[in-house]
Amino acid sequence: MAVFQAALVNELEKLYKKKKALAAFLLSLAVIVIGQIIIVGVRSGFGLRTAGSMEFPMLVLSVVVNTILPLFTALVTIDSFSGEFAHNNMRITLTRPVSRLKIFAAKIAAISLFILATLLLLLIFSIIAGFVFNTNSATLDSLVRTVFSYIVSLFPMVVLALGIVLLTNLLKSGISVFFVSILIFLGLKVLGVFFSQYSSILMTTQLDWYNLFLMKSFPLAKIIRQFLIMLGSSVMLFTAGFYLFDKKEL
Amino acid sequence: MEPIIEIKNLTKQYENGRGIKNINLEISEGDIFGFLGPNGAGKTTAMKLMTGLIRPDYGDVKIFGHSITEDYERAMAKVGCLIEIAEAYSYLSAFDNLKQLARFYPDVDYQRIDEVLELTGMSKYKHEKPKKFSLGMKQRLGLAAAILSRPKVVILDEPLNGLDVEGMIDIRKLIQKLADEEKTTFFISSHLIHDVELTCNRIGVIYNGEILNVESTKTILRNYATLENYFVSEVERNGRLSSSVG
Repeated sequence: MAVFQAALVNELEKLYKKKKALAAFLLSLAVIVIGQIIIVGVRSGFGLRTAGSMEFPMLVLSVVVNTILPLFTALVTIDSFSGEFAHNNMRITLTRPVSRLKIFAAKIAAISLFILATLLLLLIFSIIAGFVFNTNSATLDSLVRTVFSYIVSLFPMVVLALGIVLLTNLLKSGISVFFVSILIFLGLKVLGVFFSQYSSILMTTQLDWYNLFLMKSFPLAKIIRQFLIMLGSSVMLFTAGFYLFDKKEL
Repeated sequence: MEPIIEIKNLTKQYENGRGIKNINLEISEGDIFGFLGPNGAGKTTAMKLMTGLIRPDYGDVKIFGHSITEDYERAMAKVGCLIEIAEAYSYLSAFDNLKQLARFYPDVDYQRIDEVLELTGMSKYKHEKPKKFSLGMKQRLGLAAAILSRPKVVILDEPLNGLDVEGMIDIRKLIQKLADEEKTTFFISSHLIHDVELTCNRIGVIYNGEILNVESTKTILRNYATLENYFVSEVERNGRLSSSVG
């Protein structure tokens, strides 16, 4: 366990010291600022009510889970795997007394923590922006649901990260992984539109699963089913990704 | 004496036909073993197999009795290594690079990091990032990383690559100091015959992926004028044997 902790701290330090993680945080804040400017502009220019204080964080979440968050997840994941393979940096860790499983798990844990940190950052700043600039429509119930929506959005994002991890171990170049990831993402989005009856098993549809927690009638069975689908996908993607990572010759 | 490193029937063949075939070796405590062979002989392949970077087709490597393929963490617990080019994270300082590695060893503190930077002559560059380092400086940092955990076994692949004369002498002295004072066992590959002669007390010659002979430096120099003569003689003898078999 101590070795896993060391590997995790190392991965987090690398994420922190790289400019990419910082850029991701700054861009997340930019989304909130731009979103808020648009809302204030629409409200004062056209006199329309746009978003209440608790609606604004949900508006931000609905935008980021389908745009910048998958993008940042892809960039950080590609950097952590393909980037280190390309620069021969993977060898630095792999020749230490730590098993490949622990290194692989530590990398995924660090990516998951990065996603969680980004989500929490977006949550805090969007709530603050919502309270400061928008009409007050907050209730304790809506606040709890908002916080919950942000936190549960971590799960589908981790599944997405595991999918990208698999690609980084299949394809050599990070650029190929990036473009293939985008193509698969768009492909799944299109499939979700044409085959909506099967869309619940698609990774891209799961990104919006936080909506299930916003319904007045709490759809427990549906939530459990979606959770199990994501869990199953994670186990399969983790196993396939690790199989390739373990066999990798450096 | 119990061997510290046991290599048994180690085989790895690449698609291009290169690799190593059926290598058997035993390295004892205190040995400074020189793995001598020309470029492409299979030295790096053998060392990558020894450090688990690649998997063998057949055979195994045991370090302190622990198999590298089955019990990696224990096998590598007392091993430091530098394989091919010394790599470092370009966005971390020399000190931070070593700090990353130190976390895997409970006994290694910041004082030890400063100590190995001093030993390898890198103290004055400790806060600089390796992207600005020369090849020799990167190699010194790689060596610092290899000896950071006070390992009992150090595996070095071409450790003198990119070093100037002064650097070569420094590293040679460092290897001898660690072998004498801390009884560290070294497994060093090189194609630089002169350096192997000066540094190592046992020498194995590898050619075309096969071990031709293993002998102590003393015995070799008793029978041959130089290590170079021994190496040429071994390779020629093997060449004649191969052609007569063929």
